Amino acid sequence: MPDEFPLNDPKKIWQEQPTEAIPMTLDEIRRKAHRLQMIARVVALAWIGFGFALCAGFARASARAHVVIPRIGWAIMSLWCLYGVYHAFKWIWPGRLPADATFSTSLEFYRKELERQRDYGWRLWRRSGLAWAFLGLAFLVVIPVVIGSLQNPRILVNAVPFCVMLGIWLVVFLSTRKRKQQELQQEIDELNAMDRGSR
Amino acid sequence: MGGTESIPGEGVSQDDLYREAVDHYGSSLDRLARAYEADSEMRRDLLQDIHLQLWRSFAQFDKRCSLRTWVYRVAHNVATGHVVRQSRIRKRLASIEEIEGMASHEQNEQVTSKNQALERLSTLIQRLKPLDRQIIILYLEGMDANSTAEITGLSAANIAMKVHRIKNILRRWFHEGGPHAG
Repeated sequence: MPDEFPLNDPKKIWQEQPTEAIPMTLDEIRRKAHRLQMIARVVALAWIGFGFALCAGFARASARAHVVIPRIGWAIMSLWCLYGVYHAFKWIWPGRLPADATFSTSLEFYRKELERQRDYGWRLWRRSGLAWAFLGLAFLVVIPVVIGSLQNPRILVNAVPFCVMLGIWLVVFLSTRKRKQQELQQEIDELNAMDRGSR
Repeated sequence: MGGTESIPGEGVSQDDLYREAVDHYGSSLDRLARAYEADSEMRRDLLQDIHLQLWRSFAQFDKRCSLRTWVYRVAHNVATGHVVRQSRIRKRLASIEEIEGMASHEQNEQVTSKNQALERLSTLIQRLKPLDRQIIILYLEGMDANSTAEITGLSAANIAMKVHRIKNILRRWFHEGGPHAG
């Protein structure tokens, strides 16, 4: 019976579907907004406190080290923690709703969300200053191992399986990430083409 | 959190705007959440988030657009963020053009009840990419091309073209028994 009302009228079917009551009262919304802001502040404060504590710990280790290379390594790690604290404050600390967060046009918002997801790995790497952390670890671990292996080559031989596993993981991780980024980029390009067609 | 802060130069509070929005568009928001999330628990969370962000957004409502446009933009953007973050789901989504040209025999039976029709409509909507999903929802809510264009950021001509395709798909899904029937 395709011609019987309202089965042939999708608008009517859509608009007349049963709906539920609004899930929260205004008071509950206010309380929830306040609670979310409080939680976000506590999380940011926890990260900042943790960063300062690590910074102090690494600085202390640097001051106590007797050999120059580990001392540099600890100092770099300590500075990395300070950098982390700055970025925790800048990016995690909750502010007011950004002007373009929710009420930009859908096209803009969708594109930004996809770009954010595409750039997530790179931004995380840059914002958290992971390059500095690896530099510090290189001073603390890699250089001492290489120096040690000059006297005892077995140390390097023992490290080979770990290095191979790390290499395999890195190749898989990077290729998967690249494929995901290409898919996202393709969708962003489609949106851009749609946008150009709209102007 | 300034729950009763007035909108600059307007004397209307954030709470008043929220109440007005819910009075006029509360059921539309519920339908919108259904279009974006099939799981009832997650849908409830999404709907709560939409209401929360809507209330928060009214602290910055400057009346550059109508209340209706504002409400739909905020709600659609919150829901889009919800879909985009679930990348496993996002990967399976298709555009209106892809669905129009799809050689599928999933819907090869004619609809015989209102529930079946609604289920079929929901299935179709939940298969679409976020931007196309917005267009079909706004079409089903009875919006014209200009209003849809204002909310989505696409041109009215682009919307008209998409709506034409949506009508074709809906006709196939509801009148002819399936995408390739008839």
